[in-house]
Amino acid sequence: MNNEIHAPDPPRRAARGVIVLLLWLLALGALGAYSAWQLRISSDLRAFLPAPRTSLQHLLLRELGQGAGARTLLLAIRTPDAERAATLSSALRARLIASGQFNTVQNGSGDLQQIAPALLPYRYLLAPTLDHQRFDAAYLRSELEQRLDDLGAPGASVLKPLLPSDPTLETLKLAERWAPRHAPPLRHGVWYADSAALLLLETRAAGFDPDAQARAVRVIEQAWAGLPQHAQAHLELNGPGYFGVVVQALTRHTAEHLGWAAGGGLVLLLLLAYRSVRAVLLAALPLLSAALVGTTVLALVFGGAHGLTLAFGITLLGVAQEYPLRLLSHRRIGEDPRASARALGPVLLLAMASTAIAYLAFFASGVAGLQQLALFTLSGILAAGLSTRYLLPMLLPVARRDAGAQRWLAALARGLTRLPRARVFAVLLALAAVFVLLLAPGPWWQNNLAALTPVPLPLLQREGVLRKALGAPDVRYLLVLEGDSAEQVLRHSAAAAPTFAPLLAQGALDTLMLPSTYLPPLAVQRARQARLPDRAQLQTALDQALRGLPYRAGLFAPFVRDVEIARTLPLLTPQAFERTPLGGLLRALLIERHGRWFGLGLVGGVRDPAALARAAQATHGLVRLVDLKTETESWVASYRQRILAALGGAALLLITVVTLGLRRWRAVLRVLAALALALLLALAALRLLVGALNLFHLVALLLAAGLGLHYALFFERARHAAADERLRTLHATLLCAASTLLAFGVYALASLPVLRALGLTVTLGIAANLLAAALLTWPRATPPAC
Amino acid sequence: MCLLLATLPALAAESDPAGAARAMALVRTLARPAPARTAYTEVRFVGMLDRALVLRGEMTWLGGSRLQRSVVTPYPETTTIDGDTATLQHGQRAPQKFSLGRAPELKDLLGSFVALLSGDALALARDFTLHAYGDQAAWTLDLVPRDAAVARRIRDVSVDGSGKTLRCMRVDETDGDTTFTLLGPLGDAKLPDAPTPAGLATLCAGA
Repeated sequence: MNNEIHAPDPPRRAARGVIVLLLWLLALGALGAYSAWQLRISSDLRAFLPAPRTSLQHLLLRELGQGAGARTLLLAIRTPDAERAATLSSALRARLIASGQFNTVQNGSGDLQQIAPALLPYRYLLAPTLDHQRFDAAYLRSELEQRLDDLGAPGASVLKPLLPSDPTLETLKLAERWAPRHAPPLRHGVWYADSAALLLLETRAAGFDPDAQARAVRVIEQAWAGLPQHAQAHLELNGPGYFGVVVQALTRHTAEHLGWAAGGGLVLLLLLAYRSVRAVLLAALPLLSAALVGTTVLALVFGGAHGLTLAFGITLLGVAQEYPLRLLSHRRIGEDPRASARALGPVLLLAMASTAIAYLAFFASGVAGLQQLALFTLSGILAAGLSTRYLLPMLLPVARRDAGAQRWLAALARGLTRLPRARVFAVLLALAAVFVLLLAPGPWWQNNLAALTPVPLPLLQREGVLRKALGAPDVRYLLVLEGDSAEQVLRHSAAAAPTFAPLLAQGALDTLMLPSTYLPPLAVQRARQARLPDRAQLQTALDQALRGLPYRAGLFAPFVRDVEIARTLPLLTPQAFERTPLGGLLRALLIERHGRWFGLGLVGGVRDPAALARAAQATHGLVRLVDLKTETESWVASYRQRILAALGGAALLLITVVTLGLRRWRAVLRVLAALALALLLALAALRLLVGALNLFHLVALLLAAGLGLHYALFFERARHAAADERLRTLHATLLCAASTLLAFGVYALASLPVLRALGLTVTLGIAANLLAAALLTWPRATPPAC
Repeated sequence: MCLLLATLPALAAESDPAGAARAMALVRTLARPAPARTAYTEVRFVGMLDRALVLRGEMTWLGGSRLQRSVVTPYPETTTIDGDTATLQHGQRAPQKFSLGRAPELKDLLGSFVALLSGDALALARDFTLHAYGDQAAWTLDLVPRDAAVARRIRDVSVDGSGKTLRCMRVDETDGDTTFTLLGPLGDAKLPDAPTPAGLATLCAGA
C-alpha cells in the first residue's frame, strides 16, 4: 500500500520529538497555571438547578440555601456528667460567638426572661395585653392580687426580679411568645437531655454551600479541640449543612481511594498491552491536555466552575482516553506513527466531531451547571482528539510489534465475523429490552433530592431526634406571606395568626413563628400605645389598686416610669427591630425580593400537615403553605425534562453529523441501530437493577453512548479494511472497553449512591455498546484480499 | 504517701466526709412509707412586702418522685409535681402545667422535700452538699446547692428535726428573702400576728 512510509532518519526525528514534547509540556504548564490562578471553584449546588421563574420560586430557592432550616447546625456534647457538659457547653458557646461565623449560638443559657434590653421599653407595644385590657384600677388590682399569690407559690423566685417594673408580667408574656415552646430541660443553666448538652447554631454561611459549611464545621471542631477537658466528652454534630460536609468528604475520600485502585490497574493493563513504558506515558498527554484545556475554557468563559461540573466533566473525558489508545493500537511495525495517524484521521475526526457537537445541545438547557459541563467536555474532547491526531504521532516510538498480531485476537475476529444470525439476535434483544422497559414496575424517575445528596441514614435519624428536642424549625414545611411592603406583610401576618392558634392548642404542630410574632404591625402598636394611661391616671389607678395590699410603698415606681416612657416612644419599625440582638430572628422571616416583600412562617413539630394546609386555606390567600419537599421534587422533575430535551437535541445533532460523515445510508443505519440497541439494553438493565433513575444515571448513559458511538464507527471502518487492520481495530476497541470497564467497574462497587450510579451505568452501558457494535457493525464478510 | 495522695481529691470534694456520712445516715432514718402526709405552715419574708406571707396546708409525698403541696389558707392552691413536670391549680383558674427544667432551683427545692419525706439520702446528696450538726434529740441538716444555676438563687437550706421527725425547713435566698416551712409537730403551730425571722428561728430550734 502507498501509505507504508517508513520512519525518517532516527536522530532528526528524536530531536524534533524532544522539542515538540517540551513545547507541549510548556503549553500544558501555562494552561494549568492560568486555570489555577483564574478558575474559582464554587460548590453552590443551586448552579445545578434550573433558573427560577416566579418570585415565589426565587424565594424558595433562597430559602433552600439560606433559610433558617438549612443553616441550622445541631450540636450535642455527650457526657453523663451534667456539670461538665454545662461547663463545656458555655465555653464552646463563647468561642463560637467570638468566631463570628454564626448568627446565633443558643445553648439554653442567658435567662429566657431576659429580653434584649433595647426591646424592654417596647414591651407594652409588643405584647398583646392592651388589645383587651386597660391599665385601670380594677385590672391592676386583679393583677397585683395574683402577684401576691405568685409570691407565695413555688415559682416565686423567677418573678421577683421583674415585679417592680413589670407587675403585669409583659416581659414574661413576650419571652413565652418568642422562646422555643419545646426547648429541652435546663441543667446547670444549659440545655441538657439524654446525657448530652445541646446547642442550636445558625451559620452565617448558606446551607447549600458545602465549602462554607465545611469552614463553619472546622471552626466548631477547632473551638472544641481548644477547650480544656474536651477529651472527657464527645461532641456530636448534625444538621443539613453538616450532611453536605460529610457527604462531600465521604465522596471525595471514596473516589480518591477507588481512583488510585482503578488508575493502577489501568496502567498495568496498558503496559501489558503495549509493552512500552514510554508509549503509555505519552498516551497520558492528550488526556491531560483535555482536562487543562477544559478548565481553561471554563475559566475564560464562566470565570469559574462548579465542583460537580469538574467531577462529571472528568468522568465524561473518559471518552477522550480512547483517542491515544486507538493510535497506539493502530501503529504498524516500522511505520512512522504520523502515517498511522493519517490513516486513522477521518474516523477519528468523525468520532470526535460527532461527540463534541452533540454536547452543544446542553447549551439550550438553561442550567448553568449543565452549560459548564457541556463546554468543558466539548473543548476537552477536541483537545484530546486534535493532539492525538497531530502532536502525539511526532513523539511516539516506532512500533516494533503489531498490537493486532495475536492468535487469540484472530480467533475472536473470525468467530465474530462468522456469528450466525447476528441481526436476528439483535432484534430479539431489542424486543426483550422494550418488553422490560414497558413492564418494569415502579416509577421511572427518582425525584427525591435526598437521593442526589445521600446522607448516611443513622445521621438523618439522629437529626430528627435532636431537631425535635431543640424545637428547631422544620425544614420541610413553610408558610409564605406576600405584600407590597414590610408593613403590609406584618399586617397580613397579624391577621392570619389567630387562624393557626387552635392548631398549636390541639398539638397539630408544636411551634409557629410568624413575622408578627416578633413585631406587630405599626397600626397595632399605635393602638396599644394610645391605650396607655398618662402618668397621673396611672398613679391614681395604682394607688387605688394597692389599697390594703402589703406591697412596700413606692415599690412600683419603675412601672409608672416605664409606662410613661412607652407612651412617647417612636413606633418600632422592622429596621429598628433588626438592629437589636433579636433582629436576626425577624430578618430571617421578613425578606425583600425584587421589590416584593415576603414573610415566612416557620413551623416546627408538624404532626398533622393536612390540618396545617386547611388552616392556610382558611386565610383566603393571605398565607400559603409550601411543602419544600414537593417543591424541590417538581424542580428536579423540570430539571430532568431539560436534560431529556438536551439529550434529544444531542441525538439529533449526532445523527446529522454521523450521516454527513459516513454519507452511506447503510453505514449510517448500522451505526445508529447499534447505538439505539445499546441504549435500550442499558436502560432495561438499569431498570431491572436499580429501579428509579436519577440525574447521575443520565449523565453516565451519555458517557456510555459517546463511547459506544466510537466502537460502532471503528467497527464500521473495519468493514472495508484488510485482515490485519481489522485485528488492530478489535485490539484497540477491546482495550478501550477493558480500561473503561476497569475504571468504572470499581465505582460500581462503591457504597455511595452517586459513585455506584455512575459506575454501574457506565459498566452496563459499555457492555451493551460492545455487544451491539459486535452484532450490528462488525463485518460479516471475510476481509477483502490485499 | 500514696495512700495519702489518693484520698486528697475526695477530701477536696467533700470537706467533711465523716459529717456527710452522718448526714446521709440521718436522712435515711427519715424514710416513711408512701403516702407520707404532713401538715405544714409556710412563712415567707419577702423584701417587697411589708409583712410576711403565711400559707397553711398539707404536703404529701405520693411515692416515687411525686409530691403534692396543697395550700388551704389564705386561698386554695394545689401544686402537683411528677418528675420534671409541675401542675399548678389555683382557685378556679385552669390548671397550669410547666416544666421544672426551666426553673432548676425549684426542681431542686421540691426534690429535697421528696428526698426528705422518703428518706432518699442519695438523691439529696446528688443536688446538695450535706452537713449534719447537733444530737439525736435536736439535729440540724445543712444543704448547700451543687448546681451553679441553683446556687445563684438559693444560698442555703437548713432542716431542723428531732429523732425521726422533721420540724422545720429554712430556705435563704441570695436576694435576702427567707422562707420557713414548719412541718410535723410544728405544722399547725400558732404564730404571732406579725411573725419575725428571729422568732421563727427560735421556734425551729425547738427551744
